[in-house]
Amino acid sequence: MKSAGFFKRGYVYLVLAFLYMPILTLIVFSFNASKSRAVWGGFTLDWYRALFQNSEILNALYVTLAVALLAAVTATFIGTLGAIGMFSMKNGPKSLLLAAANLSMLTPDIVIGISLMILFLFANLPLGFGTMLLAHVSFNVPYVLFSVLPRLKQMNGSAYEAALDLGATHWQAIRKIVLPEIMPGILTGFILAFTLSLDDFVISFFTTSEVQNLSILVYSMARRGIHPTINALSTLMFVAIVALLLLVNRKSSILER
Amino acid sequence: MSVVEQQHLIDLVDLTKVYDGETEALSRMNLYIRKKEFVTLLGPSGCGKTTTLRLIAGFEFPTAGQVYFEGKEISSLPPYRRHVNTVFQKYALFPHMNVFENIAFGLRLKKVDESTINARVAEMLEMVNLRGFGRRKVDTLSGGQQQRVAIARALANRPEVLLLDEPLGALDLKLRKEMQIELKAMQQQLGITFVYVTHDQEEALTMSDTIVVMKEGLVQQIGSPICIYNEPKNAFVADFIGESNILPGTMLHDELVSFEGHDFICVDRGFGENQPVDVVIRPEDVQLCAPNDGMLRGTVASIVFKGVHYEMMIQTGGFAFMVHSTLAKAPGEEVGLRIVPFDIHIMKREAAL
Amino acid sequence: MKTKPFAAPYAVWMLLFTIVPIALVAAYSFTTADGALTLRNMANFLDPIYITVLLRSLGIALLCTLICLLVGYPAAYVLAQKDFDKKGVLVLLFVIPMWMNFLLRTYAWLTLLESNGLITSTVNRVIEFFGGQGNVRLLYNYGAVLMGMVYNYLPFMVLPLYTSLSRLDRRVVEAAEDLGANRSQVFLRVVFPLSVPGIFSGVTMVFMPAITTFVISRLLGGAQFKLFGDLIEQQFLFTGNWNFGSAMSLIMMVLLLLSMSIMNRYGDQEGGGIF
Repeated sequence: MKSAGFFKRGYVYLVLAFLYMPILTLIVFSFNASKSRAVWGGFTLDWYRALFQNSEILNALYVTLAVALLAAVTATFIGTLGAIGMFSMKNGPKSLLLAAANLSMLTPDIVIGISLMILFLFANLPLGFGTMLLAHVSFNVPYVLFSVLPRLKQMNGSAYEAALDLGATHWQAIRKIVLPEIMPGILTGFILAFTLSLDDFVISFFTTSEVQNLSILVYSMARRGIHPTINALSTLMFVAIVALLLLVNRKSSILER
Repeated sequence: MSVVEQQHLIDLVDLTKVYDGETEALSRMNLYIRKKEFVTLLGPSGCGKTTTLRLIAGFEFPTAGQVYFEGKEISSLPPYRRHVNTVFQKYALFPHMNVFENIAFGLRLKKVDESTINARVAEMLEMVNLRGFGRRKVDTLSGGQQQRVAIARALANRPEVLLLDEPLGALDLKLRKEMQIELKAMQQQLGITFVYVTHDQEEALTMSDTIVVMKEGLVQQIGSPICIYNEPKNAFVADFIGESNILPGTMLHDELVSFEGHDFICVDRGFGENQPVDVVIRPEDVQLCAPNDGMLRGTVASIVFKGVHYEMMIQTGGFAFMVHSTLAKAPGEEVGLRIVPFDIHIMKREAAL
Repeated sequence: MKTKPFAAPYAVWMLLFTIVPIALVAAYSFTTADGALTLRNMANFLDPIYITVLLRSLGIALLCTLICLLVGYPAAYVLAQKDFDKKGVLVLLFVIPMWMNFLLRTYAWLTLLESNGLITSTVNRVIEFFGGQGNVRLLYNYGAVLMGMVYNYLPFMVLPLYTSLSRLDRRVVEAAEDLGANRSQVFLRVVFPLSVPGIFSGVTMVFMPAITTFVISRLLGGAQFKLFGDLIEQQFLFTGNWNFGSAMSLIMMVLLLLSMSIMNRYGDQEGGGIF
């Protein structure tokens, strides 16, 4: 029995090692004084210094954060309203609106990317920050919708009616009863949208030209070849996403309570 | 009624189960189960009844003590090598199989040929009154029907012992009563041993040959329903089985007990002289009479109509008696209470109830 | 609730930025550059060059999915076992890569496999130690792309499998044991069939991005190694033939929706009765 447990545990650790080895190597070598990717030449923070002096990278960081924040806020607004609106609809129109969200989620990123690119160029919108933002809102909306809808379904339907019965207007009932009830879903949706935006490469790649986010920058730099500065950048991105995830994990466990 | 044979089928010897090195779910349980016997393990949740069942089935292994089956120790055998089958609390049907395949599962494992399987499954479906349900998916069945499939599935293997873990717990009252009768009939018709776990004392009294009352991992009393009801060994059993008035008293000497400021003749002996005891009197054993004719005098505090009888709380000097009677008395009315010697049950005083 | 109008912004947005763009792709697929209706774009795709790429994409995506399933299933199975302690942390460790930027993940592999990378130089040094010529190249070939894909998508297989296996009712397993099934029979007849929905969602989550990727093949496969995604990207960003590019996108979408609906139907019917 003991040895079986040992092998099982060992297997899981092996798979995890496969998943983390490249990342850990990358992190270690981001502190490597030597430019080599195989030999340790002493500890340095030079690459991080170089990173923060590189205006291209800083600009990409700004673009990434700005797009993610704006897209998440807009998508949360549209998606939440959409969910509340759909909740009071008959099945026919509702399933039509749901189908649109499903279509968006089932469409491969590359097709979303090129289809939006066609749309923007067709509509004579110059590709750049604005189009990238529009694209991000578009792929985020369904995720917000599907985070909020289950909360609405869980909600006690009579609570809203009770509020009306007690003299609340529609708007008051929604603000004071419905919104607090579905707030966890809205938050989940917002965080999901924000992370998806931070993470996106493919759709951004097709819907912008000169304006680069971090993913696009890593892509173009990686195509030019390896450089320790990208290691440093990647390390920071990795740390940021882990921190964000841990935060979300704690937040959601607090919300569940 | 099928006759319980004398031969032991299962023996539990000093059976002990400790979880996580601290919680003692079962301590030193000794029990024998005979062929064709209907044994019920009865007690509140956490009393160790389900643990006992799981030890017999092989889902758990004892921390100490042994399980014997027909004289052979099986304590460490895995479930699939034991000749017992289980009906689970919430059915645990295989959701990816239809009714037929659920029932045929054990037979397929034994590589029984197809025609035998067909015949056996048909027979089982017939027995549980589900003829024609073979092709149905299990999630289209009602709770009662799922329960029947679970029973058929467990019986299809023709086990010598059927273990049932609160099988009727999820059914509504009416269905539960019907199933109690059906299960008992099935057990007698098949002539196999049932080990039945429940917290419902009425269920236990209705169905069992033998009841094992348990509390906090310890056996409190083993006996026939009649014996357990009429001669509860301690206040816990008395309280758990049926409703009881339990009041403190003093055993003056053999066949004489004093409580509520009155001496009563009783039938118990051997408690010593002037010993503190618990006195148990069933509500239906308290007879009402005119105030001056009774052994005790009391005032009716409340009365509730229960269908067959009235349930009254009658306040005497220091105790509120629960009384079941077909006579209705108005609240505030003075009554006399009589208790015949045979209905007074004396038990050793427990440190804490 | 009278809140229907709330859905208006959503409806307009989805129409403008999901339905219309996809309709545009469809329109471009069946027109020439001058806007005349044609089936030419679809016919062009039948060229052996493109069919080869399509088959290569299908092949590598299927192989990647299979490897992920074979590697991921045991891991998910072990993780889902009740008595596995520190399970929460380990599951989280599988979640983190899912949320990590996938360019970053691919780049990390790139640094290991490129000619001065840790793996390549270690392999070469081992070869030299045994007297061979240490000039093995691990990057820019089929194997590198496959590894990159498996590395990228493995967590997407493990997580749905873990979810479906850990939701499995413990008592159903006990019921099977009780009816005489030994450990392998319990697995084959109960656990595995009940995890089929998890397998389907894992397969979908791996297969879909695997067949559409162009980043992994570009970074790890080099300029010569092309997949379906590369062809589409090329048509839009280099060749500039939007009509043909749209046709290929449409073909990809139809292919995916088709394979998913087949899988769903298969999943519904046979989800249980495989054995």
